[in-house]
Amino acid sequence: MNPGKASGPAVRIENLDKHYGTFHALRKVNLSVGRGERIVVCGPSGSGKSTVIRCINRLEQHDGGRITVLGTELNDDVANIDGIRREVGMVFQHFNLFPHMTVLENCMIAPMIVRKLPRTEAETTARRYLEKVRIPEQAMKFPGQLSGGQQQRVAIARALCMQPQIMLFDEPTSALDPEMISEVLDVMVTLASDGMTMICVTHEMGFARRVADRVVFMDGGEIVEEAPPEEFFTSCRNDRTRQFLSQILGH
Amino acid sequence: MVSLLRNQKVRNALLQVLYVGALAALVLAGVVIARRNLAEQGITSGFDFLYKSTGWDVNFSLLPATANDPYWWFFLIGIINTLFLGTVGLMLATLVGTIVGLARTSSNELARLLGRTYVDIFRNIPLILQVFFWYAVITHLPTPRAAHEAWGMMLTSRGLYVPIPNVGAIAFAAAILAVIAAIALPVWLGRTSRLSQPFGERLGIQLAAAATALATAAVILALGRLPDLPLLDFPALQGLNLKGGLRIPPEFSALAIAIAIYGGSYIAEIVRGGFKSVGKGQMEAALSLGLSPWRVFTLVRLPLALRAMLPILANQYVWLMKATTMGIAVGFTDFFMIVALTINHSGQTLETIGILMAGFLAINLSLAAIFNRINKAIALKGNQLRA
Repeated sequence: MNPGKASGPAVRIENLDKHYGTFHALRKVNLSVGRGERIVVCGPSGSGKSTVIRCINRLEQHDGGRITVLGTELNDDVANIDGIRREVGMVFQHFNLFPHMTVLENCMIAPMIVRKLPRTEAETTARRYLEKVRIPEQAMKFPGQLSGGQQQRVAIARALCMQPQIMLFDEPTSALDPEMISEVLDVMVTLASDGMTMICVTHEMGFARRVADRVVFMDGGEIVEEAPPEEFFTSCRNDRTRQFLSQILGH
Repeated sequence: MVSLLRNQKVRNALLQVLYVGALAALVLAGVVIARRNLAEQGITSGFDFLYKSTGWDVNFSLLPATANDPYWWFFLIGIINTLFLGTVGLMLATLVGTIVGLARTSSNELARLLGRTYVDIFRNIPLILQVFFWYAVITHLPTPRAAHEAWGMMLTSRGLYVPIPNVGAIAFAAAILAVIAAIALPVWLGRTSRLSQPFGERLGIQLAAAATALATAAVILALGRLPDLPLLDFPALQGLNLKGGLRIPPEFSALAIAIAIYGGSYIAEIVRGGFKSVGKGQMEAALSLGLSPWRVFTLVRLPLALRAMLPILANQYVWLMKATTMGIAVGFTDFFMIVALTINHSGQTLETIGILMAGFLAINLSLAAIFNRINKAIALKGNQLRA
């Protein structure tokens, strides 16, 4: 199995279904993300947007439909799951850094164990990405000694150290103090301009307007609307979308 | 004057003085009353009795013991017996607790049910009943003539007989220390930052250290070997009884099993709590990086769970260490029983109780100090966000 060599879209989601007990979390979701494409997913809480991207790297198991990532179908085959997780990085709302490791170790652990990189090479890569997220001087500190914004940038660096082809962002700025949001968004904008395939669940509409190729609006476990940002913000067709936008852009 | 009394600092100082004064008066009164009572009963106080021979024997000792040995030697035997029982009991309890605790956090329903049943049963039966139960079971094992035999060991109603090397006591202890060093040194070498070699490239040094320590142990054993005897002393039937080897008496086994099973049920809960306290987020992050479930466990889940467990575990260890005094119930000559026997024979109640308390304080404070150091060394740095 060697994800990434095959052509075709980066992620293809077809008729995705997901239940939590009796709760129908996702209803026949269809989404295709091309290579190098930047997608912003938004929607009210409970709309299923996080669930969709958590299905892409199998943090959640879907129970209907098909997910194909970099040409590999995501199924019960452990080799497929491992292969896809190697190529798909994820950034979480609450950073989820490993608190018992230094920033540098956080960034080195997966490349050394999963990619079998020698230590020196892993350290060079880690320092390069810490430079990229603009905190090279914090390498020897522990996550608990950093601010929220710094921690989130470490989390981005940690994911990038695996040199993934796709990056998933699950509300990366929602747990941050307002003055720290921009430092994280700046890093994400840089990443986007480097041509990374990105799927971002976020409510930062400024970010969506600036970097997204497409904005996807979800509600009640369905994709309600899908459009390029300028069209999405100016002439959305759906009532639910309009209502949502008026709520978050109202102030 | 009145305003001085209203000053907070003056008040605090005054309270301290009163408190210390009251405490000193209490201690002084105790000593005076004790001396007068002892004098009335014609008992001389003091620690001279420590150098007299006891005139009685102990039923289990890792050190050579006869009725001619002085009291201080018997106290030492008692402390070593308590430490031996405590160490074996704590290690077994930790093993049982880890297995049951992991079963309780497992995703397997049957394992969870078994774990819960275990904890519910053994945590709720008093330790002393469990000691008596295991003692009854063991003393109803077959007689030496019909002993269960395995790997040179013999299990009988008179105890478990294990082969021991024919080596001098000091050499044997030194060899054990060398074996412990063979395990501890590589671990330390792998973690210390005092070496110039980077982490992960120290396998050679670690192996060399372990090999050296093991070789030292072998040399010590060879040098300390008792002349004209085979290297290993196997137990064998002689008449109606077994001779040779080391006899682990039923009292010891019963206590060790009871502490392992009872302590294990408490430790299982600590282990479960530790694993539950690890945020799901950290494990998801590790999975999303492509680490295998086993790596997620050893690199993230276990280290974080251990940090949550250690402080409570230290508490439990101190508690279980004190529970070894149950030995007196079945007649195991632990520290407490030696003290009780000494009181009966010498009448030096206050002094021996003092020694007993000082001994347990020393044991448990050392245990606490060790755990505090470990805790401090591995404590998470900075503020932790719980997600």
